[in-house]
Amino acid sequence: MPQSRPPRGSRRGSPQLRLRVGFVLIAMVLSLFGARLVQLQGLDPNSYAAMAAAEGLVKAVLPAERGDILDRNGKPIARSVDGMMIVADPQLTSEHATALARFLYRRLSVDYPGTLAKLRAENSRFEYVARRVPSTIATATVEAAARRGFVGLDTRRDPVRDYPAGDVAANLVGFMGTDEPLAGFERTFNDQLAGTDGSERYEVGGGNRLPLGQSTVTEPVDGQDLHTTIDLDLQWYTQRVLRQAVDGSGGESGFAVVMDSRTGEILALADDPTFDANHPTDAPKADLGSRALQDVYEPGSVEKVLTLSSLINERQVTPRTKIVVPPALNREDRTIHDWFPHGTIHLTLAGVVAQSSNIGTVLAADRFKSGQLYDYLRAFGLGQKTGIGVRGETTGLLPAKSQWTHQMQDRIAFGQSLSVNGVQMAAAVNTIANHGVRIDPSIIEGKATTVDGDVVGTDTTTEHRVVSARAATATTHMMERVVDPDVGVAPGAAVPGYVVAGKTGTAQRVGAECGCYDGTFTVSFAGFAPADDPRFTVYVVVQDPSNGGGGGSVGGPAFSKIMSYALRRYAVPPTGGQPSHLPVTW
Amino acid sequence: MSNTVAQVRSRVPRFADVTSRLAGSSLGAGAVGRARLTVVPRRRVRAPRMPFVALVSMVLLGGVVGLLMFNTSMQQAAFASTDLQQEADTLAARQQTLQMDLDRLRDPQRIAAAAVKLHMVQTPNAAFLDMRTGRIEGVAAPGSAASTFPIWPKAPAKPAALNPKPHVVWVDPPASADPSADPSADPSAKQSRDTASGATGTTPADGRKNTIGSQPSH
Repeated sequence: MPQSRPPRGSRRGSPQLRLRVGFVLIAMVLSLFGARLVQLQGLDPNSYAAMAAAEGLVKAVLPAERGDILDRNGKPIARSVDGMMIVADPQLTSEHATALARFLYRRLSVDYPGTLAKLRAENSRFEYVARRVPSTIATATVEAAARRGFVGLDTRRDPVRDYPAGDVAANLVGFMGTDEPLAGFERTFNDQLAGTDGSERYEVGGGNRLPLGQSTVTEPVDGQDLHTTIDLDLQWYTQRVLRQAVDGSGGESGFAVVMDSRTGEILALADDPTFDANHPTDAPKADLGSRALQDVYEPGSVEKVLTLSSLINERQVTPRTKIVVPPALNREDRTIHDWFPHGTIHLTLAGVVAQSSNIGTVLAADRFKSGQLYDYLRAFGLGQKTGIGVRGETTGLLPAKSQWTHQMQDRIAFGQSLSVNGVQMAAAVNTIANHGVRIDPSIIEGKATTVDGDVVGTDTTTEHRVVSARAATATTHMMERVVDPDVGVAPGAAVPGYVVAGKTGTAQRVGAECGCYDGTFTVSFAGFAPADDPRFTVYVVVQDPSNGGGGGSVGGPAFSKIMSYALRRYAVPPTGGQPSHLPVTW
Repeated sequence: MSNTVAQVRSRVPRFADVTSRLAGSSLGAGAVGRARLTVVPRRRVRAPRMPFVALVSMVLLGGVVGLLMFNTSMQQAAFASTDLQQEADTLAARQQTLQMDLDRLRDPQRIAAAAVKLHMVQTPNAAFLDMRTGRIEGVAAPGSAASTFPIWPKAPAKPAALNPKPHVVWVDPPASADPSADPSADPSAKQSRDTASGATGTTPADGRKNTIGSQPSH
């Protein structure tokens, strides 16, 4: 093509030069683009992609709801409530920190100086102001703050564990720390109660979920509720009566067990002193468990019921067997006395029970063959864990058969030289109430697995016969004499209108320092009613009453109140039977 | 343009060569005469385009508009879903609060406190009425001091800072007092070492155990 030259005299310059300059400029700009392209795609492609994706992406944890702990009627003893935490951004709140701290103190009762310090914190953009607040209160507080012009507060999800009954059944249920359970059923059955958290990822735009955006959900698995056999109202009543018994006698501590005689379910297990599960740190650490199951003690004369029922079962004695009881009994290296000084008296076996004579029991227990009492006591459940599902349960101490001397048998016959925990002893006495069949005690309804892998609950209980029904009935008739106002040592345990069978106990305690009997006592009363068709077994124990009272004067009135309430609550009418009139002397 | 036609024409083999070849073939001279070739005139025949264009553009427009509307309605549903989700959360929280209130009302402690406030008395025992026969079974016992127990849980022990040991100061009686005076005549002298009316009190209101003021604040 012929080169075109501009006509002479124009000032446009040569188009070829312009084209070339233009091409060079375009090439330079395109090379910059090319370099940026290489940088974006070649050097680190993923980070930019991730940043873009994260722009509208929300990753949220879907927390699992913790299971409730319910009583036998479905009333919650522990439950989870939707809660929120209130957080503050100190950069935004430090301006009006004093006014805001005062406002929060008034609404939420938070610690004023601590909150003030947090709202003014330097180099922080996130401070916890209040944890585990019920969500309606939290949202109302933050909205009220916004209305007053305070900025920088926000809420996040933070479920609250609430114990609506306060201190009722707190010894069993335990309590939670900030994030994990620390004691009781909360800890023991945490696997079942906790559930599994889920998660979800979704995209948002303008505050709303994008329906076509990325969305993956892993559903949370909520925790399962735990059903206990505790009756909340009866537990409250038992705790208050027990507290009166312990405080009134100046005792160090105490506990009470109420069992359903036929099924072995524990309707109430009260400890005193105890704590409020909503404020566990207010109570001393020793009170934060259940002394009924965690502490051992020597049962004392209540154990005579087991000894004598075994003897009757062996047909060695009957309730009318005549026994000559000397004032003191010299056996090997120790002398055995009764709690009341007497000369030589003539007591029947019923009298031995009614008057709680140690010497009479020892004389009767001489008729055991070697090792028989041990076998019976093991069959009654002593020396073995009850396995009801309470943490830290002690096994108790029943000396091994090979270690028994005759003197040890004498002392074990009236309840010293062996140690038990409260529910063990209640279940053993309940064997007599249940016509000689020992049924395992239980406190969990159905079936539940502890964190250690043990399966506990009413579905796993077994029963076996320990003594014959005839022996149990004979023992019951003897126990009915204990509450007789004329011949028994515990007339205060009687429930008007009902036939009550019971046994007192006053045992010497072993001191922790010397490992010997330190002169303090464990007083107790165990019994069941109505005696001819038992429905409830109640066992009350007070440790070291300083007013010098015994099982009859300290445990008896408490037993009477608790038993009367239980019979009223479950509408158990009097059977119309009369207490036995077995002769106590001859 | 005429250039190119001329070039085309010049590249087309000369008719005369073709006819001369044909003349020698079996077709004969008549075919030569009939087979004069001319360029076919251009025919201006066009299929009507409008319906097709209209159809395509309608489809396009409909698709775009439909997609837009579909998207819009889905976003609207997303807004509604967010609102309803928030409402559901609020209602669930409200239900929980009401459930908490209900459990608080059913709390045996609260009921016992309300009963005490109404001056109701704890009963140690109740009798059963058999409605069919009209018989009374059991023994109905009236409430008494012996059957009553305090309904409050123990207040938590105060820390030592809030519960200091009392500082006891023993004061000797003034030396100027007449030694022959009867000490029982002067009641203030008798009470100088007396601890509190609780020591000689006879009603349950004396002494600290039954003090109603020891209720814990819930």
